[in-house]
Formats: sequence, C-alpha cells, structure tokens
Amino acid sequence: MSVRLLALIPVAVAISLALSAAVDAVALPLFLDTTGTILATALAGPAVGVAVGVLTSAVNTLRNPTFSPFVVVQIIVALYAGLAARAGLFRSLRTAVPAGLGLGVIASLTSTPISYFVFGCTTTGGIALTTALGKALGLPPLGACFFGSFVSDFGDKAVTFALVAAVLHALPRRTAARFPLALRAMGAT
Amino acid sequence: MSALHPFSLLAIAAALPAFAWILPAPAGGLATTLVAMGLTLTPGASPGSTGAGLAPGWRPRSTGVWLTPGWRPGLVTFRTALVIAAPFWLFLRLLHDGPTTVAMGLRITTMVASCVWLVAVLSPDRLVEAMVARGWSLAVAYLFAATLSAVPVLKARARRIVEAQRCRGLSPRGSVANRLRALRALALPLVLSALHEVDERTLALETRGLGMGVRRTPLAAPLDRTAERVARWTLLLLCLTALIRRLA
Repeated sequence: MSVRLLALIPVAVAISLALSAAVDAVALPLFLDTTGTILATALAGPAVGVAVGVLTSAVNTLRNPTFSPFVVVQIIVALYAGLAARAGLFRSLRTAVPAGLGLGVIASLTSTPISYFVFGCTTTGGIALTTALGKALGLPPLGACFFGSFVSDFGDKAVTFALVAAVLHALPRRTAARFPLALRAMGAT
Repeated sequence: MSALHPFSLLAIAAALPAFAWILPAPAGGLATTLVAMGLTLTPGASPGSTGAGLAPGWRPRSTGVWLTPGWRPGLVTFRTALVIAAPFWLFLRLLHDGPTTVAMGLRITTMVASCVWLVAVLSPDRLVEAMVARGWSLAVAYLFAATLSAVPVLKARARRIVEAQRCRGLSPRGSVANRLRALRALALPLVLSALHEVDERTLALETRGLGMGVRRTPLAAPLDRTAERVARWTLLLLCLTALIRRLA
C-alpha cells in the first residue's frame, strides 16, 4: 500500500464521523457513516475501503460499543462500492442514486440479523421506534426488525452515493488522478 | 488497573462481553455486568483518580456526561456506562417480553460498561508503543493513532463550516429537497478540504520514511509481565471452553 493510500485512510474515517455535524444541521434522518468507506473505495479500491470501514467501526465503538458487530456491514459496503466504482456508477447522479438504493437493500439485509440476534433491534432510538412501528403494523419480529433497518438504510445509502459522486466530480482532475481508481469510478476512462 | 499492559486491558474488555453472550442468561449476564460495572469503579477508571492522562479523542465526551457540573469525578465512568446503557433497556422493554429484556439488557450493559471502562483506562500512546514493541508495522500504529487525532479535528472543521455557511445565508430548513441542497453545501467543503489534506499528510509521511513494513524502535514499551501473558491466554481458553460447553 502506498504512503498516499495510508494517509487517505484516517482522513476517510474522520470524514465518516465528522459528517454527523452537517447532518445535525439539516435535521434529516441520515447517518452518512459510510461516506468515508465508499469514497475511499471509489478513490483507491475495496481493500482501502475495507480498512476504512473496519477503522470507522473501531472508532465508533469507542463512542458506542454496540457499533462493533456492524463492522460486517462496513465491509459489505466497501465491496459493493468497489463493484460500483469499477462499473463507473459514480459518473452521474442518475447512476449513483439507484446504485445507492441497491446498497440500502443489501445493507439492511446484512444488518438485520446482527441487530435482531445481538441487540434485539435496539441499536439506535430511531431504528427501535421504527421496529416498534413495524410490530404495530403486524409484522413478525424479524420482519419488523428488517423494516426498521430498511427505513433507515435505504435513503441513507442513496444520499451517501450521491454525495460521493458529487465529491468525485468536484475534485480537480489532477487531484483525482493521484488516486488509482478515481477516474474510472467517475467514468472518465 | 491502568498500569496493566494494554493488551491485558483489551483482553479483559473483550472477554467480558464474550462471556456475557456465551454463559446462560440471566445468571451469566448478571455476573459479567457486575464485574464490568465494578471495573468502572476501580482506580484509574475515572478522571479523578489516576486515569487523567488520556488523549482527548478517547474521553467519552460525546455522551455529554464527562464534564457535566455536579458529577463526582470518582463515579464518572460508572455513570457514563449507566447513561449509555439505559436507553437500550427502554427500547428492549418496548420490543420484548420481561425475560428477553433482562437477558439482552444485561449482555448489552456488560458490553457498554467494558468499553467505557476500556476507553477510560487505556492510553492510546501506550497501546501504540505496545503494538510497536510487539513487532507490528509502524504503518498500522500510524493508522490507529492518526485516526484518533483526525476525528476531533475534522469534527471541529465541520462545525466551523456549518457556522460559516449559515452566516452566508444558507437555510438548512424547509422541504427535504431544500435540506438535501443544504447538506451538499455543508458536506462538499468538508470532504474536499479533507481530501486536499491527504497531499500534505503524504508529503509529511514520505519525509519521515514511513511505509508498509517499516518498523520503529519503541522508546517506552509497556512492561508485559509473564503473569499477565498467562492471564490473557487463560482468559482465551476459558472463553473457548465456555463456548464449547454451551454448544455441546
């Protein structure tokens, strides 16, 4: 791994965690906690993305220990984003948003069993309340848990993919060219 | 407690939640919860005792409890664990019956208390020194230390960007589309400035000759006593034995 990619990893983790301030300001039900993982993958490939995802989970765990089992979701996100970058799906919002919606489904499918079996669907207040809504609608426990995860992940991942696409296109071409996969992810090569 | 080798602290913090999930509920969970909560009361686990020298990024300030006036310093870690664990009990009660709430609540409380205790007693500097002394690559140690220092810096920058954009008239309220546009205006400067910082960091690291596989001589490696090494292996064996007995 080159020194540039080594320098990218802590910055990408910090991006994931610092974006919460922007989300708080606009008061939208989003996490954006995979932005750094997806961005690092789009710039430098899935190996760097996995490293960012694992470190993001580790640092998040220091804040709230219940994040630790969800490291699997970060790894899945990095692998999916790697495929999306290879396919050039960050070339425009029209391709990035549907790809993000697809990731939302996959992420909620991955996080549901962890959330259900380890925490009884009580990972965050929002998910717990949506799960309670799902139960009130008559869904079985696992279905209600998936409903809670799906509601939170579906829009979040679409917005994250759109944000990463916007960042890639806003990067100066010379800066983007310093990262191995950036131009391909933008569909520029 | 903070005088223990960093790997020993990590082993204890990992073993307690593992036992909480492996041992039969609710007795197993209750025992591990009592041990974990007891650890948060030990010397070195609070800023009022010997654990005051921790790096700012590791202090559980995000909970808002750490510096709250009126909190006695000796119980800060204990109360932080309680404050983080309490909502889980509420949500568990909302979603599950009594026995399930107790079983899962005790496991989650063990997990929370162990982690809060670890954050309070483990100094990242000592951990990095221990990793380097054990022969880990300097790059791995850099990743760990640089991440912990970069997070508070970028969070502060994000807050400044939010304030600056508000001064320029950005309105983060209204329809969802309006809020998403505002989010773009807040997030893009943060992410782009962070990515430009990668160039500076790369130059600084290359100047210092850092790369994968490079090793550094530890200057103050934490003492790793034989008794602690034996205790760590014993903990691992106990976990495996308990798991095998539970599955059998």
